[in-house]
Amino acid sequence: MEKRTVFSHKLLPYALLAPQLLVTIVFFYWPAGQAVYQSFLIQDAFGISTEFVWFENYRSLFSDPAYYSALGVTALFSTVVTVLSLSFALILAVEADKSLKGAGIYKTLLIWPYAVAPAVAGVLWLFMFQPSLGVFGKMLNAAGFNWNPYLNSGDAFALVTAAAVWKQISYNFLFFLAGLQSIPKSLIEAAAIDGAGPTRRFWSIVFPMLSPTAFYLLTVNIVYVFFDTFGIIHTVTRGGPAGATTTLVYKVFSDGQAGGDLGTSAAESVILMLIVIGLTALQFRFIERKVTY
Amino acid sequence: MADVVLNLVGKLYAGNIRAVSDVSFAVPDGGFCVLVGPSGCGKSTLLRMIAGLETVTDGEISIAGRVVNRIEPMHRDIAMVFQNYALYPHMSVYDNMAYGLRNRKTPEAEIAARVAEAARILELEPYLKRRPKQLSGGQRQRVAMGRAIVRKPQVFLFDEPLSNLDAKLRGQMRVEIKTLQRQLGVTSVYVTHDQLEAMTLADMLVVMNRGRIEQIGEPLYLYENPATIFVAEFIGAPPMNMIGLDPAVGIPAGLSGAESLPVPPTGAMLGIRPEHLHLDRGDGERGSRLRLELKIDAIEAVGAETYFYGHLGSTGPRLVVREAGRGVVPTDGARAFLADRAHIHLFDKASGRRIEM
Ligand SMILES: Nc1ncnc2c1ncn2[C@@H]1O[C@H](COP(=O)(O)OP(=O)(O)OP(=O)(O)O)[C@@H](O)[C@H]1O
Ligand SMILES: [Mg+2]
Repeated sequence: MEKRTVFSHKLLPYALLAPQLLVTIVFFYWPAGQAVYQSFLIQDAFGISTEFVWFENYRSLFSDPAYYSALGVTALFSTVVTVLSLSFALILAVEADKSLKGAGIYKTLLIWPYAVAPAVAGVLWLFMFQPSLGVFGKMLNAAGFNWNPYLNSGDAFALVTAAAVWKQISYNFLFFLAGLQSIPKSLIEAAAIDGAGPTRRFWSIVFPMLSPTAFYLLTVNIVYVFFDTFGIIHTVTRGGPAGATTTLVYKVFSDGQAGGDLGTSAAESVILMLIVIGLTALQFRFIERKVTY
Repeated sequence: MADVVLNLVGKLYAGNIRAVSDVSFAVPDGGFCVLVGPSGCGKSTLLRMIAGLETVTDGEISIAGRVVNRIEPMHRDIAMVFQNYALYPHMSVYDNMAYGLRNRKTPEAEIAARVAEAARILELEPYLKRRPKQLSGGQRQRVAMGRAIVRKPQVFLFDEPLSNLDAKLRGQMRVEIKTLQRQLGVTSVYVTHDQLEAMTLADMLVVMNRGRIEQIGEPLYLYENPATIFVAEFIGAPPMNMIGLDPAVGIPAGLSGAESLPVPPTGAMLGIRPEHLHLDRGDGERGSRLRLELKIDAIEAVGAETYFYGHLGSTGPRLVVREAGRGVVPTDGARAFLADRAHIHLFDKASGRRIEM
């Protein structure tokens, strides 16, 4: 059923929409427009003269190996973080849904990481895994692993990934738990009578019914990895070592802020924006077609 | 070839909630047993224990001679139709029906044959490719039935399968379920709180109240010989008229011929069904019949029969009379009705049990 509200006054709907539109224009369309404009400019090193160069910034970007490296890092990082945080969250939600004793405490504890700001999460993990001071860092080294996220790019990537996954599990967990609890119990019972064991019930009934939730979370998680992990990367590795944890969004920052190359930075952010818009559109089309019951 | 036998079955839910106590009955092979009773009396709990969806905390349940207390639902060889149908929303009608067979590794060719057969019986052929969401309530109900019959189980369990349908469809499906059960000869246990459904479907009626059995028997036997006040009032619509008789107070005003009834010192309830009261036209012998004078409040003529609503002796208990045909009585009139001795019921007020006369 479609809900429709009929407004008696012609202007009322626009008045009601205005605050939302204003926020979107001021905080999204305006800066986005600025970025597009900036990406066509080249500034000299002292910021005195600017020149309009059309696609020059983009051209140099696509001939820069560092940019391809950031693209690769982003692809790997988003895949690993999304897959891990969704899987862990699903496992935890399935366990919580069994409503064991103390489930309330369990749920509350699982939700806490979500309240931690990304930068703080980064500091926390760095604190634990600092090679010479951190509890786990020392343990790893004592156990014979040559653990050093400052120097080893694999270690750095693992640490950033772990922090990002840890932070995102809460959100995914909440949605999966709500999804699980909205599946009528009688469906599971019917399947049990129909001869399906617990594993088969999960894969043939529960999982398909969770797929709308999973697809929604997939979009949200990818956007999270693209943008919100900035705080974690900035506090833990600053994109290093040797660009091993420089994602696209971190590169936008380091080129623009640290490198002072506003034109390139703007071009990067425009591309990033296009990638995310593309991914989101793709997923929403997929959701509309495939996963409604 | 499966009978269902319950021996002193009880259920205590977590938190010390007693839902069912001391239930014993046996449904013979191919029998249609209906559990009926008011909301919360433990019918669903009992059915779910037979299905294996709830643990049995007391007593024993056996299906086809095998105690199933500790056997998983999937190994009990039963099929259940749920009140909300519990169809798998992401599967087509065909897949819904095939699911149980696939789980049991039935060859696809046989699955196709069985589903086709069930679809034919239930007139579901045009809908096999649809999702449950794209069906009407009645069609969903049929799919739920189909899912039960394709498996050819030993026992069918139904938990209020018709309560989500409108009155007309409910009547129609009731007949279909009965016919289907007869054809297939599968032992069935059916839960409802609708006494009409209970009366029409059952070979064997189990009336429950507060987790206990009030009476077991054939529907018409229970109708004619209710063992307790509860059964008397629960079965039959409109319900049996009840008149309190208290020796300390004496015979209520408006009632005559009741002097010789064996009323215990603690009092009794006199029960007369609405159709067993007949207008006293003042032409026949009253004989040993009871005579009741009613102050009529309202008359409903519905064509084939007429209902009189009134109070015994103008201020006594409210009574209903059902006369065949069209009685012509002015409203507000006082009228006398007669009841045969053979058709009256007497219950002990203290225990609620029937007093044989
Ligand atoms: N899971 C449960 N935990 C505790 N008590 C329960 C549970 N399920 C049911 N009960 C209680 O057991 C009693 C019987 O419930 P049951 O569902 O069997 O009733 P019912 O006869 O099927 O009623 P209805 O006609 O409303 O479906 C009720 O008092 C109910 O509150
Ligand atoms: Mg019930």
